[in-house]
Amino acid sequence: MTAIIEGIGLTKRFGYGDAAVVAIDSVDIRIDERELVMIMGDSGCGKTTLISLLGCILTPDAGELRIDGEEIDLTGQDLSLIRRQKIGFVFQLFHLLPYLTALENVMVAMDIAKTDKSEAEDRSIELLTRVGLSDRLHHRPAQMSGGEKQRVSFARALANRPKVIFADEPTANLDSRQSDNLMNLIQELRQEHQTTVVIVTHHEGLKENADRIVYMKDGKVITS
Amino acid sequence: MKSFFLKDMQYRRARVVLTSLGITVLISLILLLGGIMNGMRIQAQQYVKSTGADIWISAEGSGGAFIGFSLLIEENMAPLNTRRELKEGSLSPLIFAQARPIIRGKSTKAIVVGYMTDKYGGPKQVLDGEGRMFKSSEFQDYRPEDPIPLEVIVDEKMGLEIGEQITIGTEAVKVVGKTSSLMFVLDTPLIFMDVRVAQKVLLGNYPRVNMMIAKANENREPEKVAAFFDAEEKMEARTMNQTLDDIIAYYVDEPMKAVQFLRVMLWIVAGLLVGMITYVTMLEKTQEIGVLKAIGASNSYVMTHLLKQVALISVVGVTIGFCLAYVFAAAAPIFVAINLVESIIVAGISFIVCCGSGYLAARKVIMVDPLIAFRGEIDGGMFRHSPTVAYSDAS
Ligand SMILES: Nc1ncnc2c1ncn2[C@@H]1O[C@H](COP(=O)(O)OP(=O)(O)O)[C@@H](O)[C@H]1O
Ligand SMILES: [Mg+2]
Repeated sequence: MTAIIEGIGLTKRFGYGDAAVVAIDSVDIRIDERELVMIMGDSGCGKTTLISLLGCILTPDAGELRIDGEEIDLTGQDLSLIRRQKIGFVFQLFHLLPYLTALENVMVAMDIAKTDKSEAEDRSIELLTRVGLSDRLHHRPAQMSGGEKQRVSFARALANRPKVIFADEPTANLDSRQSDNLMNLIQELRQEHQTTVVIVTHHEGLKENADRIVYMKDGKVITS
Repeated sequence: MKSFFLKDMQYRRARVVLTSLGITVLISLILLLGGIMNGMRIQAQQYVKSTGADIWISAEGSGGAFIGFSLLIEENMAPLNTRRELKEGSLSPLIFAQARPIIRGKSTKAIVVGYMTDKYGGPKQVLDGEGRMFKSSEFQDYRPEDPIPLEVIVDEKMGLEIGEQITIGTEAVKVVGKTSSLMFVLDTPLIFMDVRVAQKVLLGNYPRVNMMIAKANENREPEKVAAFFDAEEKMEARTMNQTLDDIIAYYVDEPMKAVQFLRVMLWIVAGLLVGMITYVTMLEKTQEIGVLKAIGASNSYVMTHLLKQVALISVVGVTIGFCLAYVFAAAAPIFVAINLVESIIVAGISFIVCCGSGYLAARKVIMVDPLIAFRGEIDGGMFRHSPTVAYSDAS
């Protein structure tokens, strides 16, 4: 198996002096291509911080990061390029733009990547149809259920054909039926799109979907 | 499909409309104030220009014909008639004085102009079908005992009827004709009459005038002639252009300094308004901006998205304000002359001020940490960690 993401000695501190918190404490982690990895652990143990580091949203205070075979320059360079080319995000609170319809919310990700508009529209319709929302294309987030919003969010994450999708507690705001549906959809999508998926969750029930589970405690990875 | 930034603005339309409206009102006020000053400048100049005289002589120490108090003794001025520097026979006595004529029982603001119809200083004829010229005195030299009909011609905009009596000083005078409008600063109408009549009604028949005006001889430069006369005792002399400059400085620019200051303040207010509203709007959008950045938007993408909105709001606000200024100008109770070129420049500067302040606000807000996308909604109070995270930049 080839590694798609490799973090070595990743460390992240928040705050200064007495108030400093070591959120991630020299973590080594490797995620292979097309794996479905789940990260589990108590609240506050550093799961969100870890995927933010791996997804190039945060820069670590120490450590190295390799994505898709490429060493990431972490010395203050603009990482937005890597985010839009290689990574997709799904958030617990969906974070769709309230003024855009489902279709436009997916299209905006491709607009950011400077994809041609008509191509973006075609692909967005295709993705939304795939996640079962062909009849919700022109609905605003406020007119959709949590499950539907999270599916739009997955379609958005897939828009730019990312190598890895990071999902932070994607089912935390869904009921159990919605979260089962979502989990099944994720399984299908990652096969179809050959995507690596990293899910942070505390739903024990979802464990069976994972290829591998990473347990964390106090900013450290304890087993993987 | 419409662009994303338009959708965003549509979603926040109440705020967009309010911001534009604020700019609209400020810009129209800025332009209107400019128009008022411009109107005053035009009115300050039009009478002096209409005379065609290029040498303006006033009493020594008056500081200029329209500035200080100036009384000249006509007799003393007579020798100037023979001077080679002046066009032959062009020397003209002139009375130009603020008065409060009583018209239909009401004391009214006006300026009395006394001149000689065969010389410089006032109209040679009345408007077609609007009465006749006043009768001039038979003798040009001073003869208080001359019987002279107390007749005047008035600005057509004064609303007086021909044949109507008005009172100037202690005398009743009769309106015999109307002239085309030639208001002085702040819509002050001119009442024209023979210089002898003016002396009778204002000066108790004393042979004094406020100024002598003339034309320089054709082969002389007015600047040199004026400077030459000015050097002489007992008189001050100016060219027409110097006189115009004096009037504008004295009647417009000096008194309107506060208004100029106000215009600059309004600009600052417009800039602050746009900056503040943009900033507040953007603080509200911090979460959205964080999400955009998290899903890969570069700072410049977000900046462009925000600037398009600021620019559109500014353009709409400035354009409507521009049009509204003309509406206000038409409705204003005083003469307002908005200068098109000047107001286009002003509108351009206003646009830059608005966009500039919007840019400053946007620049601050795009520094938001994309990490915020993983946190709760700001207004939902769902921060599990420190709320400072929302505003931390890439430190
Ligand atoms: N931006 C931040 N500023 C300060 N402390 C933070 C910030 N983000 C996370 N932390 C701290 O880092 C630790 C790990 O947080 P997080 O990664 O969100 O945990 P989890 O996602 O596992 O609940 C916590 O102690 C949290 O308080
Ligand atoms: Mg978390």
